[in-house]
Amino acid sequence: MGEYLKNLVMICTVFLFLIVFSIWGIVKPDATVSVSERRTLAEFPKINVSTIKSGKFMSEWEVYVLDQFPMRQQFRTLKAVTVFDVFMQKDNNGIYIQDGYLSKLEYPFHEESVEYAADRFRFIYDKYLDGKASNVYLSVIPDKNYFMAHQNGYPSINYTRLINSIQNKMDYAKYIDITGLLELNDYYRTDTHWRQENIESVAGRLAYEMGVTLTAGYTKRILEIPFYGVYFGQNALPVEADNIYYMDNGMFDNCTIYDYETDSYIPMYDMEKAYGKDSYEMFLSGSKALLTIENPQAVSDKELIIFRDSFGSSLIPYLAEGYTKMTIVDIRYISSHMLGHFINFDGQDILFLYSTSVLNNSITLK
Amino acid sequence: MIFSSITFLYYFIPWVVLLYFLVPWHLKNSILLLASLIFYAWGEPLYLIYMLVSIVQGYILGILIEKYCNRWQSKLFLISTTLFSLGLLVYFKYADFFIVNFNAVTGLSLPLLKFTLPIGISFYTFQLLSYAVDIYRGKVPAQKNIINFAAYVAMFPQLVAGPIVRYSDIAIQLNIRRHRLSDIAYGVRRFLIGLSKKILIANVLGELVAVFKSSDDKSVLFVWIYAFACTLQIYFDFSGYSDMAIGLGKIFGFCFPENFNYPYISGSISEFWRRWHMSLGKWFRDYLYIPLGGNRVSTWKWIRNILIVWMATGFWHGASWNFILWGLLFAILLIIEKLWILKYLADSKIVKHIYVLFFVIVSFIIFDSQTVRGAFETVGDMLGLGALPFATIQSIYYLKSYAVILIIAIIGATPYPAKLWNKLDNMHIAANIKNILEPLFLLLYLLVCTSFLVDGSFNPFLYFRF
Repeated sequence: MGEYLKNLVMICTVFLFLIVFSIWGIVKPDATVSVSERRTLAEFPKINVSTIKSGKFMSEWEVYVLDQFPMRQQFRTLKAVTVFDVFMQKDNNGIYIQDGYLSKLEYPFHEESVEYAADRFRFIYDKYLDGKASNVYLSVIPDKNYFMAHQNGYPSINYTRLINSIQNKMDYAKYIDITGLLELNDYYRTDTHWRQENIESVAGRLAYEMGVTLTAGYTKRILEIPFYGVYFGQNALPVEADNIYYMDNGMFDNCTIYDYETDSYIPMYDMEKAYGKDSYEMFLSGSKALLTIENPQAVSDKELIIFRDSFGSSLIPYLAEGYTKMTIVDIRYISSHMLGHFINFDGQDILFLYSTSVLNNSITLK
Repeated sequence: MIFSSITFLYYFIPWVVLLYFLVPWHLKNSILLLASLIFYAWGEPLYLIYMLVSIVQGYILGILIEKYCNRWQSKLFLISTTLFSLGLLVYFKYADFFIVNFNAVTGLSLPLLKFTLPIGISFYTFQLLSYAVDIYRGKVPAQKNIINFAAYVAMFPQLVAGPIVRYSDIAIQLNIRRHRLSDIAYGVRRFLIGLSKKILIANVLGELVAVFKSSDDKSVLFVWIYAFACTLQIYFDFSGYSDMAIGLGKIFGFCFPENFNYPYISGSISEFWRRWHMSLGKWFRDYLYIPLGGNRVSTWKWIRNILIVWMATGFWHGASWNFILWGLLFAILLIIEKLWILKYLADSKIVKHIYVLFFVIVSFIIFDSQTVRGAFETVGDMLGLGALPFATIQSIYYLKSYAVILIIAIIGATPYPAKLWNKLDNMHIAANIKNILEPLFLLLYLLVCTSFLVDGSFNPFLYFRF
């Protein structure tokens, strides 16, 4: 190829590429949601004299064109491939892959975050529990990095230090260690959470330590769609999807689960959410500030109040067998100051069940 | 608007180029001006007014300087335009610096003005100054066509980050220029290489720098990784932007001056500054150093001239003491070199490069620091004078994670890849393969750069506020 032809080919190729994508970007109908990233995409910004003068239109436009760029997902994948396979970087957007498992770097250890979480828990104890006959328990759920970061040369928080720290600050609670009952394969490959079908022993240990014995058997059911966890979208690499299994028992039909936010009763497994943007939300309908589960067939007449994060959603169904009433609180969505309006703290057992991820990033606790 | 954005790449430049080549010759500068005003207003709509006022005063006073050539009025108009241009620059860029220091010295608490610095003001101010001075010196005629003059000052390829294009560089091209296929191809190639340097190297290294800054787990190793990453980031960021500017200039038929010439291979600091931000160095040489007497004065006056010029160079980069310190460090090194060690450096093969790289790295730590104290602490940590451990898991992780990009950046900062690429022209078969591969490589660069832009939000530009 001669110099002239080469130049002509190069100019035409680059220019056509730019023009085609420019036109494509303009005429392409806007997408509203990125399923893999589980977020709504930016819409065309408001345009008027005020938004132009303030520069708001321009800054929102920059976000809009990134979100609505043609073949956006494919470009994100190309970037991930370049990062991992060309630059040989060990993570992309903080997400790394080890033995087929995706995880997000959780580093460094935020002592002040654990202190903040302990302060919130202390507030609850002092305001609602001090002087009552409640038994208070604490259990910490290790995130996936506990099993795959340090062992493979990724920066990792000192889990022993974190757990000791929260234990020492919650001297009013009895600590229940569940770390020995878990392995990496008890977690989804593409998601942060644990697999419900693998944590029956965890539920058994917690209940046992709180004076309840669980004996129920469950039927393992599979959700008939692939599950792409939260890290799948952030990573942007094509990896194999997970399957969600859920453990069913006829007892659940007799449980009544009341949702204070919507003032309605919800199912243990929300099949509408199972087929929504995040299938993990099928467990107790996902993010809920305050729920009660009443089980007339419970093996004891005990009551339990659980302060929890999203890991609790898939574990709590196992505990339903043991308690006539469970109150499930997520103080990321309801202020601790408000709890007295909804909950009568009257000697129930109390369980603080939190993952290391939330304890190390606890700013959302209210 | 910045070059390394989806908006510029896909929604601005293709349409500007299309329109530019569709309109007849006499409208081409108008299209360039219009595009430049949109480009500028995209980031700072209100500050467009200041630039337009600067252009109008520069245009009128330039004509008056020429009209009253060799008369006292000419000097008056030169002083007027200089005061106006520098006044705006001082007002927007340095007022708060002076107020802070005045308050510190007097104990007063005068309120800060807290202006956002108009984009590119340092660059277009220097262009206006050189234009007025060159007319006064009779080196160039004043531009009578305000469209051409405004197109020169506001020309978007070099508006926000240089190179500092003097009017004399492109005076003829503003009126008449050729658009050759080979030049356009060169421009496209240069632009895409600059884009890749910025997005694939500078931005990625910038992430590493950001990780270091937010880390609570620093170590001596991590400080060195940061120092190398920061030094390479600044080079690839700024030289990448200059490449893009020069490439765009070529597409539109202009020949902008080179701004970088592999500065990190220099054997002395004097040589480094002949290879780094060349358009700024030459500007200060011609409009400050030589008028002060240059080196044709006594040793003490020459030292004074060097200190003034380099303090001004540092201050030009930012209204902060660390930038002044940065400039003074180079002044001291240049004085030491000239008076004592230059001849020894010339005889050495390895030591001179270690010497240059060490002080350049130290200088960019000062450059990158928020405070002078922070800069000294970082340099101390680098030399093991802090209480940091030698290495931590985090530092080893990031060294491994960024090793390839650091190696690519180090090799890319030398002329060897370009030399090797050019050598292929001498081999018949290799040259043919190269001709086929080059367009494919460039398209691949564009694709990968686009993918990084679409996926990432980390896209700062270090020289954007100068």
